[in-house]
Amino acid sequence: MSRRIPRILPIAPIAVTLLLLSGGALPVRSQEPAAQEPAAVPAPPDLPGTGAAADQPPDSIERDAQSRDPRFAGAVELPEPIIGVVDLGQPTVVNAQGPLFPLRRIVASLGGKLVELEESVTLELDDSEVIAGPGNPVMIVGREIVQLSQAPVQGEPLKEGLLVPLDFLRQSYGRFTDYEIQWSPATRRLSAVRRQPRLLAVTVDVVHLQGVSTVVLQFPERLDYRLEERGEDIEVLPLRDRLEPAPGQSVVRDPLVRAVRVEPERIDLDLAAGTTAESYTLENPYRLVFDVVRGGEQGAATSTGSTGSPGGVPDGAGRAPEPPTPSRGLRTVVIDPGHGGEESGAVGPSGLLEKDLTLEIARTLRDRLRRRLPVKVVLTRDDDSRLPLDTRSAIANQNKADLFISIHLNSYLGAEARGAETYFLSTEASDSRAAETAELENAVGAGGDDEALYDLQLILWDLAQSYHLAASQRVANLIQEELNGALGLRDRGVKQAPFRVLMGAAMPAVLVELGFLSNPDEETKLRDPGYRADLVDALVRAITRFRSEVEVSDGRLTTEPPPAPTTERGPGGDADLAAGADPGTDSDDLAGRPAGGHAP
Amino acid sequence: MTSRRWILVAGAVVLVAVLGLLWWLFGPRPSAPPEELAGVEAVETGEPVAFTLYFPGPRGLLEAEERELAVADAPRGRARSLVLALLEGPRTRGLYRPFPEEVGLLDVYLAADGVVYVDLGGEEVANPPTSGSLEEMARVYSLVETLTYNLPEVRRVGLLWNGVQRETLSGHLDTSRPLGPKDDLLSPAARRARAG
Repeated sequence: MSRRIPRILPIAPIAVTLLLLSGGALPVRSQEPAAQEPAAVPAPPDLPGTGAAADQPPDSIERDAQSRDPRFAGAVELPEPIIGVVDLGQPTVVNAQGPLFPLRRIVASLGGKLVELEESVTLELDDSEVIAGPGNPVMIVGREIVQLSQAPVQGEPLKEGLLVPLDFLRQSYGRFTDYEIQWSPATRRLSAVRRQPRLLAVTVDVVHLQGVSTVVLQFPERLDYRLEERGEDIEVLPLRDRLEPAPGQSVVRDPLVRAVRVEPERIDLDLAAGTTAESYTLENPYRLVFDVVRGGEQGAATSTGSTGSPGGVPDGAGRAPEPPTPSRGLRTVVIDPGHGGEESGAVGPSGLLEKDLTLEIARTLRDRLRRRLPVKVVLTRDDDSRLPLDTRSAIANQNKADLFISIHLNSYLGAEARGAETYFLSTEASDSRAAETAELENAVGAGGDDEALYDLQLILWDLAQSYHLAASQRVANLIQEELNGALGLRDRGVKQAPFRVLMGAAMPAVLVELGFLSNPDEETKLRDPGYRADLVDALVRAITRFRSEVEVSDGRLTTEPPPAPTTERGPGGDADLAAGADPGTDSDDLAGRPAGGHAP
Repeated sequence: MTSRRWILVAGAVVLVAVLGLLWWLFGPRPSAPPEELAGVEAVETGEPVAFTLYFPGPRGLLEAEERELAVADAPRGRARSLVLALLEGPRTRGLYRPFPEEVGLLDVYLAADGVVYVDLGGEEVANPPTSGSLEEMARVYSLVETLTYNLPEVRRVGLLWNGVQRETLSGHLDTSRPLGPKDDLLSPAARRARAG
C-alpha cells in the first residue's frame, strides 16, 4: 500500500547538482503569480523576518505560501524540488482538533528510534530527541517545550502505541529530518515529502561593549542547529539547512572575536585565545547570540554539542532564566528532610513521626557523605521547623547544588504496604507548567504588563526541573538499586509523580521513600539505628556512583543538551543516561510496578 | 356504625383528592433543572447509571468497583454523586475508604476546559489528613481517576480544602493546579477492565 523510498537518499550529490544547475540559487519569486505582490522591494537581508519564526503553520499549503512570500525572502530560497514522497496512510482518529496518527507506524516508515515508557514516549532522530506522553498537550523538543494542538492519546488496541497529532510530526520529523510532513484533509492521507534543504542568508553582527563581545547571527527563519566547541573555535552546524552570508557583510574587527565565517554547512566562530562564550537565542527575528568574555567569568561555555533551538523566549521580555549549563561534576549535595514543625508527615502505629526520622536520617547522611566524598553537603532544615516546599528547592538552587535528595517515609491506608520507592518529577507536572508558560509568553509577547512578565519568569524558574529529568531518573535508578540490594526491601520501583518539592529544583532531584511507617514491621525496623545506618549507607553508595558517572561524562548528565553524536560519544557514552534510554530497566520499573511490587 | 364508616370513606376520598391536588401543584417537575440543587447532599434523581469507582486497594494501587448511582443528568450533579460515593467508601471487601469519615464534600464546580473543582473539608477537619506520599496519592487520584474516567467532559480535577486551593494536601503532590489522570496508579485488574 504505502510507497516507500529507501531511507538514505544520495541527497548531497543531488543538491550539489541542482545548485550548479540553478547557478547557486533560484529566487523563489520567479514562481510567483505576478498578481500576488507588487514586484520589487528586494527585502534587505537583515529585514526582520516578520513572523517567520512563528509557530509551525497549521497546514503545509500555508507553509508553501509563506515561503514564497517576499517578506521571507531575506533568504533567497531554493525552489525545494521534491525528491521523494513517503505515503504514511490514514489517521487512526480524526476529531475536532484534527487527525491523530499512530507514531509506531510512522517511525517504521520514516526511521528514528522510539523508546516507549508508561508516561512518555521518546523519539530519537539522529542526535535530537522529542518527548511526548499520552494526555499531555505539550511535547519536549530538545530543550524546548512546545504546545500541541491536542494531547497524544494511547491507541486502542494497545499495539498501535501512541497516537500523535500532526504538529508532533512537524516538530519532530519536520525539524530534524529533511522530510516535510503533509496532510491532505481531502484524501485523508498523510505523506512525508523529502525536499532539498532551505538556503538561509545569515547576517552577522559583532558588538563589543564593556569587555563583552556579542556576536549576533540573524536568520530569516528559525534554524535547527547543533553547536560544537573546540577550544576557542565554535561551530554552528545546521541540522538540515544550508547557509550563505547575507550580502554586504564587513570583516569582523573585535578584540575577542577574530572571525566569523559563514559556509554552506557551518558557521565558524573564531574567538581570541582565553575567551569563553555563552549562547542563547532570540525570536522575531530569529537570532543566535553569543556573549564572549575573556576568561571563565561567564561560567561554562557553550558545551560541546548543544542543540538548538532553545526556548521560545519572547524578544525584549528580558531574558528568562536560560536552561542551566550542565554542572561539572558533583560538588554540592542538598539533602531535604521531609516535613517538619507542626507538619509531622506520616505517623507510625506506635507513634513514630516521619519528620523526626527524616531529620535524623538526613543528618547521618550528611555526616557520612562528608567523610566519604569531597562534596559540600547542605540540609534544608537542621531542626524541627516547618519549611515551605518551594523554599526547600530554593535552598538547593541558592547553593548551586548538583544533586537534591528529599528524604521521606511513607504511609498508606492499610498496614500491609511496605518497601522503598524513589520518585522523580513526572512529565505531566512540568508540562502543565509549560502550558501556563506558553500562555504567559503570549501575554508578554503581545505587549502584556509587567505582572505577566514577572509571572512568566517565576514559572520558567519552576520549570527548572524539566531540564534535568533524565539525570534525575538516573539518580533514582541508582538509589533504588542500592536500597534493593542492601536491604532486601520490597522493590516498589522508580516512579514519577508531580511532587511539588521537586519542581523548582534546577539540578537532578529525587524524592526517596525509605519505607512504610504505617507498616508495623517496617516501623519497628526504622526504630533501629543500625537499620537506619544501612539505609544511609545505601544512599551514600548511590550518590558515590552518580558522582563517578558525572565525572566520567564530564558533567553532561542532563536532558539538555542531547549529547552530540560526534567524535567523543561512543555507543555506551552518554546514551544510557539520556531520558528513557534505559528501556530495559525503566519499562521493567514502570510496567513492573504492579508485577514487581504488587503482584498478587 | 354505617354512617361512621361512610364518614371515614368520604374523609379518605377528600384526603386523597387534596393530596393529589397538592402533588399536582407543588410536586417535582420532570424538567426541574438539577443544577440548581446545590449542597452537600446526594442529588439522587433520574435513572440509575452504572459507574466505575476507583478505591485504594491493598497494594497501594487503585481498584475498580462497579456501582449504580441514581444521578442527575447534568455533569455537575454526576460529579457530586461520584465524589459522595467515594467519600462514603467502597462496598468491596479489602478496598479502602480514601478519606477519613469527618471529611465531607462542600461543593463541586465545573470550570472551562474540562476542569472540575472538588471542595472537600468540614468543620472538624481544618487541614487535610497528615500522611505519607502513597496515602496522599491514593486519596487524590481516587478522585481524579473516578471523575475523569466516568465523565467524558472532565479532563482534570482541581482540589480545594475548605474553599482554599492548597499547594499540597499532605506535603507531596502539587495540587496548586488541576491534576490529570495517572493511569499507572491503576491495578492490573482495573486496567484490564478498562481495556476490555
